Amino acid sequence: MIRFDNVSVTYRGGVKALRDIDLTIDDGELVVVVGLSGAGKSTLLRALNGLVPATEGSITIDGTEVVGASAAELRAVRSRIGMIFQTFNLVNRTSVVNNVLMGRLSTVPAWRSTLGLWPAADREVAMQALERVGIVDKAYTRASDLSGGQQQRVGIARALAQEPNVMLADEPVAALDPVTSRQVMGDLRRINQELGITTLINLHFLDLAREYGRRLIGLRDGYLVFDGDVADVTDDTFTEIYGRAISSEDLLAEAAASAGESPAPDPDTE
Amino acid sequence: MATATVVRPKRPRPRIRSLIIAIGLIAFTIFAGRKVGFTLTTVINLGNLPDNPFVDTIWDKGKIWSLFWPIPWDWVFNRQNVIDPLLETFQIAIISSLIGCSLALPISFAMSRLTTPNWPIYILSKVVMNVVRAVPDLFWAKLLVVAIGIGAFAGAWALSIFSLAVMVKLFSETIDGADPRPLEAAQAAGGRHIPAVRTGVLPTVFPAYVAYALYVFELNIRASLVIGLVGAGGIGRVIETQRQVFEFDRVLGILILIFFVVLVIEQISVAIRKRLV
Amino acid sequence: MTSPAPTEIQPGDGGDRPPKPSGTVPRRIALLVLFIVAVVWSISGLDISMERLRSAPGDAWKIFRFMFPPDFSGEIERGVIGKVFESVYIAWIGTMIAATISLPLAFLAATNVAPMWIRVPMRQFFNAIRAVPELIVAVVLLAVTGLGPWAGALAIGLHSVGTLGKLSTETIESADTGPIEAVEACGGRWISAMRWGVLPQVLPIIISYWLFRFEINIRASAVLGMIGAGGVGSELVQQLNFRNFPAVGAVLIFTVVVVLIIDTVSSAVRRRIIQGGSHKAEDSSRDAEALNDLTGIQIR
Repeated sequence: MIRFDNVSVTYRGGVKALRDIDLTIDDGELVVVVGLSGAGKSTLLRALNGLVPATEGSITIDGTEVVGASAAELRAVRSRIGMIFQTFNLVNRTSVVNNVLMGRLSTVPAWRSTLGLWPAADREVAMQALERVGIVDKAYTRASDLSGGQQQRVGIARALAQEPNVMLADEPVAALDPVTSRQVMGDLRRINQELGITTLINLHFLDLAREYGRRLIGLRDGYLVFDGDVADVTDDTFTEIYGRAISSEDLLAEAAASAGESPAPDPDTE
Repeated sequence: MATATVVRPKRPRPRIRSLIIAIGLIAFTIFAGRKVGFTLTTVINLGNLPDNPFVDTIWDKGKIWSLFWPIPWDWVFNRQNVIDPLLETFQIAIISSLIGCSLALPISFAMSRLTTPNWPIYILSKVVMNVVRAVPDLFWAKLLVVAIGIGAFAGAWALSIFSLAVMVKLFSETIDGADPRPLEAAQAAGGRHIPAVRTGVLPTVFPAYVAYALYVFELNIRASLVIGLVGAGGIGRVIETQRQVFEFDRVLGILILIFFVVLVIEQISVAIRKRLV
Repeated sequence: MTSPAPTEIQPGDGGDRPPKPSGTVPRRIALLVLFIVAVVWSISGLDISMERLRSAPGDAWKIFRFMFPPDFSGEIERGVIGKVFESVYIAWIGTMIAATISLPLAFLAATNVAPMWIRVPMRQFFNAIRAVPELIVAVVLLAVTGLGPWAGALAIGLHSVGTLGKLSTETIESADTGPIEAVEACGGRWISAMRWGVLPQVLPIIISYWLFRFEINIRASAVLGMIGAGGVGSELVQQLNFRNFPAVGAVLIFTVVVVLIIDTVSSAVRRRIIQGGSHKAEDSSRDAEALNDLTGIQIR
C-alpha cells in the first residue's frame, strides 16, 4: 500500500510542484494521473521513489518511509519500484538484454555487475521479462536499432526485471505514434492484471486515460483536484482539472490526425 | 503468455575477429612493455636504477629530494640566466606563428577540394604537407640547427615550417566543409578564380582561420620552450646546459616558472577565443 | 499602427544610407598596433641579419641535398628500424599508462556525475599536468631514473593523463543522463550508474581519443629519444653529429613512413569505432567535431 500524507515538494528555485497531497493507493491498483504540463504529475511519481525528495510530509510504501531515507534505504525501496520513462532512458550503444539486466543491479553484487558477470538466474529473469513484452527475439540487438515502440518495451522489460511491487510510468507514450501508444498501454494494463503490480501512469491524452485507467487522479498546479473512478469522469471533470475546455491536442486520436503521423512529444519539464 | 511461441535467440558468441584483435592488443602491449623495459617486475623493482649516477633506488627519498631542493630562486629570476631566454622563447613563437600562418592562407586554399585551382597543385601540396607534418617539430629544429647554426634563428625557421604544416591541415579541412554555394554564385557571376574564392569562401572561413591561428600560437609557445634542448634557442637551451652539469634544482625551478607561464598563456588564449567566437 | 508606405525602388541621393559601422575601429587599430609592436620586438630580439636571411635557405638546401641518396643499407645494419619501432613501443606504453589512469579519474571530474568536492581539484590536476611539456617531464624523470626508454614511456604517460583526462571528462559530460536516472530509479549504486549508464555511451569516443593521443605520442617519443630516452631520436642526433647526412636521410624516411602508416591506420580505426559499425555518421562532420573537442575550438 502506498500512502502520501501532506506531501509537498518545493524545488530549489522556490517553485512549488506538489502541495499538501494526501493519497492512498491499494495493492494492485491501476491509477492514471492526468494534468497539464507542470501540474506536478512527474514530480508525484519521482517523489514516490525518492528521485525528487519531498520537502514536507510523509510517503510510505508498505510501511517503509521514503522521505528522509538514507541512500541505502532508498536503494532498497527503489529496487521494488520499476520506472518507465518518456524518453525510454536506454543505453543506445549496448544490447537490449544488457539494458534489461540493468533492472537487476540492486540484487546483483556490485563487483559482479560491474565486470558484467551476471548470474545465470538473473539472466533468466531478464529473458523472461523480454518474453513478457514480446521482444525476446531482439535480445542481442543494439537498443538503438529498435523502433520507438520496441525501445519502450525494453524499458518496460527493464522495470519488470526488477520483479517490482510498484510500477511507475512517466508519460510512457508521449514519444510514440498512436498505434504503438495503444500497444504499450495495453502491455502496461496486461502486466497490472496478470502480475498484480500496483501501477501509476502519467498521461497527457484524455482518451487514453479513459480507455486504460480505472482510477483517475487529476493534478492542477500541484494540488490534487480529482480522485475517483474513471467511469464517473465527464468532460466537465477534465475541464476542471485542466482549467480550460478540452482541445484537440488533449486527445490522442485528434492530435494524431492534426499532426499527421505522430503526436509531438510533450516536454514535461517539471 | 501471449508470446511464448517466440524462440529465444542464442547468445551470440564473441566474434572470432574481435577475440583475435583483443588478444593481439594485449600481446602487443606486453611485448612493447618488455621492449621498453616497462614490465611488472621493473615497476616493482624500481629499487635498482643501474643507469643513474646519483640515486640507487627511487625509494631513496632523501637523495632524490637533495637533487632538486632547495630551488635557487635568485638564480632562476636572474635576468641573464632565465628571463632573457624566456623572452627569446616568446619571440620565436611570435615570429614563427606569423610566418607559418600567413603562408598557410594561400596554401590551404590550394589544398582544399573546394577551392584548389587544379589537381596537380592539390595533390602535390597535400603530399608535401603530410610529409612535413610527419617529421616531429624537434627533428626540424635539430636539422635546421645543423644546417644554419645554433640559436633562435634556426628555431624560428623550424617552428615556422611545422606550424605551417599544422595550420594548412586544420584550415584546408575547414574550407573543405564550407558551403560551396557562394563560390558557385561568384563564379556564375563571371568571377575569376582568386577573386571568386576571396569573396565567396574567405568570409565564411575567416573566423576559423583566426581561431586556428591562436591555437597554433599556443602550440608554438609550448614547442619553443623545448626546442632549445636541441640547440635552437630559447629557455630550453638553459635547461639543457643545466641538465648537463647536473644542476637539477635549477632545472626544477625553470620548470615551475614555465608551468605558470603556460597556464597564464592558456588562460589568455581561451579568453581571446571566447570573445572571437 | 500605421503600415509604412510602399517604397519605390529607385536610387536615392545616399542621404539616408546608414554610415559605415565604426564602433570596432578603435579596438581594431589598438590590436593592430599591439600586433606590430610584438612582431618588431620579436624580430629585433632574434638578431636576424639580412645576410643570414639570404644565406639560410641555401644552407638548408645544401644539407637536404647531402641526404640524397639516403644510405639505407648502413642504417638497416645499425638497426634503425628497431629504433623506430622502439619509439612506437614507448608511445604505446605511454598511451596505455595514460588511458588506465585517466579513465577512472575522468569520472571523478565530470560535472554531471561527480560531486563538487572531488571534481574541482581533479580538473585542476588535469590542467596542471597538461601545462608541463612531456619533454620537460622527461628531463626531470631522467634525473631520477637514469636514461632509458621506460622513463620516456612514463613521461609520455604522465603528460597524456592531462589531455586524455580533460577530453574524457568532456565526453562524459556530454553523455545522456537518462540512463543514469534509470539506474538510480531501480536502486543501483553510483558505480553501476557509471558502468552501465555512462560507460557504454562514452567508451567508443574515449577509445578514439586514446588512439588519437597514440598518434601524437609517436611523435613525442621520437623526440624524447633526442634527450636520451630511447627510440629513433637518439639515432637522428648521433648521425647528425657525425655529419653522416645520407644516414640522416634514411632515418627521416623511416620515421615519416612509419608515422604516416600509423596515422592512416589509426584514423581509419577511429572512424569505425565511433560509427560503431551500424551507424553511418558523416565522416567529415565527425572529424570536425573531434577536432573541435581536441583543440577547444568551436566554429560557428
